[in-house]
Amino acid sequence: MQRQGWKIGLIVFLLVGSLWYLYPTIDLYLMSPAAREEMAKNDPQGWIKLQQQAMKLGLDLRGGMRLVLQVDKTNLNPDEASDAVDRAREILRNRVDEFGVAEPLIAVQGGDRIVVELPGISDPDRARELIGRTALLEFKLLESQEMSTLLVDRIDRTLEAAAGLDTTSAATDTTATPSERGALESLFGSDTAKSDTSSQVADAATETPASDTGNVLPPQIPKESPLSSLLDPAGGYGWMVVRDEVPLVKMILARPDVQKLVPPDVEFAWGTRTEFVGGLEVERLYLGKKQVELEGKYLTDAKPSFDQFRKPIVSFQLTREGGRKFARLTGANINKPLAIVLDGRVESSPEIQSRIQDRGQITMGGTATYEDANDLSIVLRAGALPAPVNVIENNIIGPSLGHDSISRGINASLLGLAAVFLIMAFYYKLSGMIANVGLMLNGVFLLGVMAVLHATLTMPGIAGFILSLGMSVDANVLIFERIREEMRAGKSVRNAIDAGYDRAMSAIIDSHVTTLITALALFIFGTGPIKGFAVTLFWGVAISLFTAVVVTRVVFDFRKSYKTLSI
Amino acid sequence: MPFRIIGDTNIDFIGKRTPAYIFSALLVALGLLAVAMMTFGKANLGIQFTGGTMVEGYFEQAVDVGELREALARGGFEDAEIVQISGREQPYTFLIRVKAVKGETQKAQSVENLIKQYFPNNTFNRDSVHEVGAAVGKDLKKDTFIAVALSLLGILVYIAIRFDFRFGLSATIATFHDVLAVLGIFYLLNVEINVLLISAILTLAGYSLTDKVTVYDRIRENLKKFHRKSDFVVAINRSINEVLSRTIMTGTTVLACLIILVLVGGPVLRDFALALLLGIIIGTYSSVFVASTMYVDWEARSPKRFRAS
Repeated sequence: MQRQGWKIGLIVFLLVGSLWYLYPTIDLYLMSPAAREEMAKNDPQGWIKLQQQAMKLGLDLRGGMRLVLQVDKTNLNPDEASDAVDRAREILRNRVDEFGVAEPLIAVQGGDRIVVELPGISDPDRARELIGRTALLEFKLLESQEMSTLLVDRIDRTLEAAAGLDTTSAATDTTATPSERGALESLFGSDTAKSDTSSQVADAATETPASDTGNVLPPQIPKESPLSSLLDPAGGYGWMVVRDEVPLVKMILARPDVQKLVPPDVEFAWGTRTEFVGGLEVERLYLGKKQVELEGKYLTDAKPSFDQFRKPIVSFQLTREGGRKFARLTGANINKPLAIVLDGRVESSPEIQSRIQDRGQITMGGTATYEDANDLSIVLRAGALPAPVNVIENNIIGPSLGHDSISRGINASLLGLAAVFLIMAFYYKLSGMIANVGLMLNGVFLLGVMAVLHATLTMPGIAGFILSLGMSVDANVLIFERIREEMRAGKSVRNAIDAGYDRAMSAIIDSHVTTLITALALFIFGTGPIKGFAVTLFWGVAISLFTAVVVTRVVFDFRKSYKTLSI
Repeated sequence: MPFRIIGDTNIDFIGKRTPAYIFSALLVALGLLAVAMMTFGKANLGIQFTGGTMVEGYFEQAVDVGELREALARGGFEDAEIVQISGREQPYTFLIRVKAVKGETQKAQSVENLIKQYFPNNTFNRDSVHEVGAAVGKDLKKDTFIAVALSLLGILVYIAIRFDFRFGLSATIATFHDVLAVLGIFYLLNVEINVLLISAILTLAGYSLTDKVTVYDRIRENLKKFHRKSDFVVAINRSINEVLSRTIMTGTTVLACLIILVLVGGPVLRDFALALLLGIIIGTYSSVFVASTMYVDWEARSPKRFRAS
């Protein structure tokens, strides 16, 4: 019995260790919702600590949002590209931290991808907006009103000339007069048929792009003053375009003959948001200078606030250098419009009233809310991403779905486990019950290892868990059948136990090792969910081997001295 | 005396291999068809592999699938797949799937907006959204394929070392047979092949392999006792009969557990458990009728073990 000492010691040690690491998890999940709330209120630090220590459930089980972003390095030089992904990750971490999500995960995956996991998030669309934008803030000057009107006139004339060449459809489509196209008049007219914008969104989406037969204009574009009839002079600077006609304007602006007319130092830019004017959804279009006067990197702080008209604004503070630049810019351009450009779109175009030094404010365009101002402040504080990111995977799992699958899954698993226990106890009597204890230990050890590894429990992970428990059952069945066989052959209890274990061992080891190989290959080469499966499978199988070889063996070694064996 | 389901048996498994081969060939053919369909994008592959957008949610009132389809088609989603999911708490739960288009990842929003617009009086509550870029899907498909191929290779090498090459190859082929059979059956049942199902299939490959190794282990043990060529088939038959009680016992235990999971495990676990259930039945069958018989036939064609006698 002396030789058994270390085995028993090891088992006890592992059991105590597993329970120690599992205690926070058990503690947390046994708490009633009311008790949780109370703890979160009375002992917030302890609550956070408990949540950190407890085993985490994967997004597939608890709900939340998972984004995979690809960093677009195409416009970076090799020097910038080398650490762009790491810098982007840091900036995203800052943004997410400020957004306030418990236990976010932000990790680089495979070179140029960043995975962001936000468990239990309530407003995924807003989070996506916040994370996905580059947040490149630029201050530019707008082109003067006269120059803008002149350019649009020139484009109109060029387009009219182009349409005149088109003999097949010229002048046939008389219904599409500018007034009916709904730019100027209907925009401010009381209530027209156009107010039903909803059905037109769908129509605009199905519109086919311009046919590539040279200069021909598509029939939706008016023949007379093609561009200016679609544009409506806005109150301030720039124009307004009815949302349904935005694709038409974009189509015109993308034409090579139109592009040739635009001077090289200016460009058309769209506004960030749509807004409602006279019951119509409109977007703003600006003609701005290409030159960047000041960049967001000079910002030291940004805060959401309201202006005197109760409109949301973001007030910002600049560095000393930025302040000097800004003072020079604003001082030289009083009474001229300034374009605040965010990720290539014009957020707003306030007129410069006076020389501004290191404190300024961004008027939010369109139908912006205070929340929008707050989000903009967050991204401005965290800084712009070194390169644009594309959302290449977006997964939102509703909490109800996760909750439903957890409770049903757990109930079913417990019931299934109970069936296994019953069958084992019924068929193998006391030996079966010993195997059941081994199986329970197996489960506790595996959960303990998962807790030590800070692993997240996901659905594929549970699959790996089930497989390893199944293998543990199988190992016991193999041993018991072998012992029975040896006893039938007339061996004594002592010899039958020894022979049973020894002879079953080669099959047990081989089957476990092959599964370990599978798990290892899946871990090294698999991604995401497959990896989660591989981790639980690997440890589950390793522990199953241990319980089969060591744990139940200890008990059976004690039973060797018996005359009969309950098996 | 211990309670036993079956006593000592002496069934001639190896003699019944011709019908088994035909059956297995059919299963494999079905599986290959499923794989071909998956490659050509015709099978019900999950969007994690194909790329695309999936929106799941429920309407508060009854909704006509035809109207829903038309609404989506008007918004440009002519190819949208609409499935009404049964067995959920909410009776009007729908799953909408749209194909991936390069550079487009905001489709879930458009789908939701369209629904809001065409069903203004019937609130649609979104449960989950999954948008996957086409490139991501391709990568995952490739990675999964490599991982599975390498794990099978690893098994082949291990069994070749521990037993011999013929065992290794037979076990690998038999495991492959099981994987293909389950894929084929799921293709017929039109179950979505997603990452969860792939992990179920990997799990069953693991089970199936355990089973084969157990049978081989006994064959290896028994072959040491037999030395004449005429005894070869006898030795293998006896090995299978000897491990039969273990096979049935393990099978019963695990199947009991899985049947419960299929019946009460809820929608997420159901497909998973069903894959395992099928896999265990097919895997147990193939341990005997594919892995062992293949070994016998190989030995019959080109004797190695009994060349001397």
